[in-house]
Amino acid sequence: MKKILFIIGVFLFLQEGSVISAQSTTFTGYIRDYTGILLKDDNDIAIMQDTLDLRIEHSRGKVAFKANPYIHSYPNKDQEIGLRQAFMDIYLDSVDIRIGKQQIVWGKADGVFITDVVSPKDMSDFLLPDFEEIRLGIQVLKMDYYLGDNTAELVWVSSFTPTTTPDADSIWYIEPSFAVTPTYDYTKKEVSSNLANSEVFFKFSAVTSMVDFEIMTGYMWDDEPTMHIKKSIDPTTNNLLLTGTPEYHRLKLGGGSFSTTLGGFVVRGEAAYYNGKYFSSADTMLVDGVVEKDYIHYMLGMNYSIWDVKTSLQFIQQKIQDYDENIVSDENEDTVTLLLARDFLRETLHFELFSYFDLNDSGSLIRPKVSYDLIDGFKVLVGLNVFNGEKGKFGQYDDNDMVYSKIKYSF
Amino acid sequence: MAALFVTTVQAEITGLKVINNVYNRPVGEDMQGELNMTLTNSRGESRIRKIKQFSKELGNMEKKIMFFQYPADVRNTSFMTWGYDEAGKDDDQWIYLPALKRVKRISSDSKSDYFMGSDFTYDDLGDRHPSDDVHKVLREELFEGNQCYVVESIPKDEEYIYSKTITWIIKDKWIGVKKEFFDEDAELLKTLKIKKYEKISGFWTILHSQMHNVQKNHTTDMELKNVKINRGLSASKFTVRMMKRGIR
Repeated sequence: MKKILFIIGVFLFLQEGSVISAQSTTFTGYIRDYTGILLKDDNDIAIMQDTLDLRIEHSRGKVAFKANPYIHSYPNKDQEIGLRQAFMDIYLDSVDIRIGKQQIVWGKADGVFITDVVSPKDMSDFLLPDFEEIRLGIQVLKMDYYLGDNTAELVWVSSFTPTTTPDADSIWYIEPSFAVTPTYDYTKKEVSSNLANSEVFFKFSAVTSMVDFEIMTGYMWDDEPTMHIKKSIDPTTNNLLLTGTPEYHRLKLGGGSFSTTLGGFVVRGEAAYYNGKYFSSADTMLVDGVVEKDYIHYMLGMNYSIWDVKTSLQFIQQKIQDYDENIVSDENEDTVTLLLARDFLRETLHFELFSYFDLNDSGSLIRPKVSYDLIDGFKVLVGLNVFNGEKGKFGQYDDNDMVYSKIKYSF
Repeated sequence: MAALFVTTVQAEITGLKVINNVYNRPVGEDMQGELNMTLTNSRGESRIRKIKQFSKELGNMEKKIMFFQYPADVRNTSFMTWGYDEAGKDDDQWIYLPALKRVKRISSDSKSDYFMGSDFTYDDLGDRHPSDDVHKVLREELFEGNQCYVVESIPKDEEYIYSKTITWIIKDKWIGVKKEFFDEDAELLKTLKIKKYEKISGFWTILHSQMHNVQKNHTTDMELKNVKINRGLSASKFTVRMMKRGIR
């Protein structure tokens, strides 16, 4: 309750002006109304959310702090109060140090996560939130060493945070499918916070006239748990029993990305090799229904503007190495993304179409939206989320087509 | 209203020489300032854009960073350009979007695009290379008390957004104080007027310019404030690090 009063107090203070500076402290942010209505059946209201999102910054010479508290308010459930980021910066001659809760973004791909795996994701509402809200803030010590236009970045994640999955009553929750309803053993789902369980990432990046590139490596936890399924026979009924044990596993990865211009095109690429991933398998000889395999995840893409339309096209493939036919996932998972965007009325009216195409399961997510700046900083947006297909990562949500609006005032 | 006084065209200077003198007018090794743009439509409604900008000459290239400060939804977006003196070499450009927390390389092949919804294209902002056009001195005349060359520039690229421009250039300062832009049908499209210029740290600096789109009756006023020249900005300021952090 004290947190709510504090944030409301800050908000009331802010109403005096759009940006308040007091002794080099700035308060900025936005207020947003977000409503989503399902297009099928009874047109259920799937989203009804009002948000106050604050950005507080204070700097003094070579140090600064930033905090990003937020409140999501809902009509039919408890308010959600959180701290998206809260960190301190120390600026030295060639080194920046950032300590605290922060979101980290790597790579060159849009809308997919290949080397961009430092921050776990909030998938409570699938891929629909703004990307700023999808990445979870995590406790990190980050050091950047600069040499000209080159940067060496070391990230130490002191405590593992997994991906947030949808609640069981969410329209985005997918019930696991088993022949027999398993019982679950959650004793291995926790990753205790200690030095041995921390994560480490390193990235070298360079910006040159010819090309920008990044090379990275990481020793991390898989942000999603592997479901180990053990079979047994009930001695009294002779029925099959399944015991599901979700468990997080270590991953090692190495990868990189690049971006360059070629005539009017921007050509981008990103790739990572993952070691230590567990995949579900139908192999009856396996003790717990999973098999460890390496995989490659990569993207090739390009951006181009034609007739004032900004276009971005990406091909993404996830390829399992040393594949065997019992693995439930496909050997190759192919996805294409397409972005078309154009501004009108002196950049106050904005049309955008972003789409994912799942080539394996013939599914897609089509996301057209239009926004208009009524006045500076006050935006009204209307959009559609249209899922197509019967299965796969997009087709499984075919009943979740939605029209939504966002009314946002930034200050 | 400006008084115009027509004189005989001087034969000893070519249009290219005049435009080269404007292009190469000394502007200092480095510059910083605050740019306020006011966009006014035909109904008299205005929108404001505020930018902090920094630039530095580094041999045969210029590096520039702009930090968008207003409106609030674009605050802390930054834009870095590495421009080259070499004719035909495209600029390198990057944009940092704080919501995405990522610096993205963008194509520079869009100099005909309008800058932030204003009446200025990126080319209009001053970096169009003289070799991109064929220049001809039409006449000399007195314009607002200054003796000017009037130079016609016709693009070599027939697909360019303007069919020609005519520029009034002060003879002893090499500042273009007025420019007319003609569309592909040779109709007057826009008029640029320099409202204020001063010598700062020994360099002529344009402080207020106004672009009027006469066909749409839309105007952009661009005012430069708190200008500092040759303060010894380090080259290390023009990096991705500073795009994310802001120059302090």
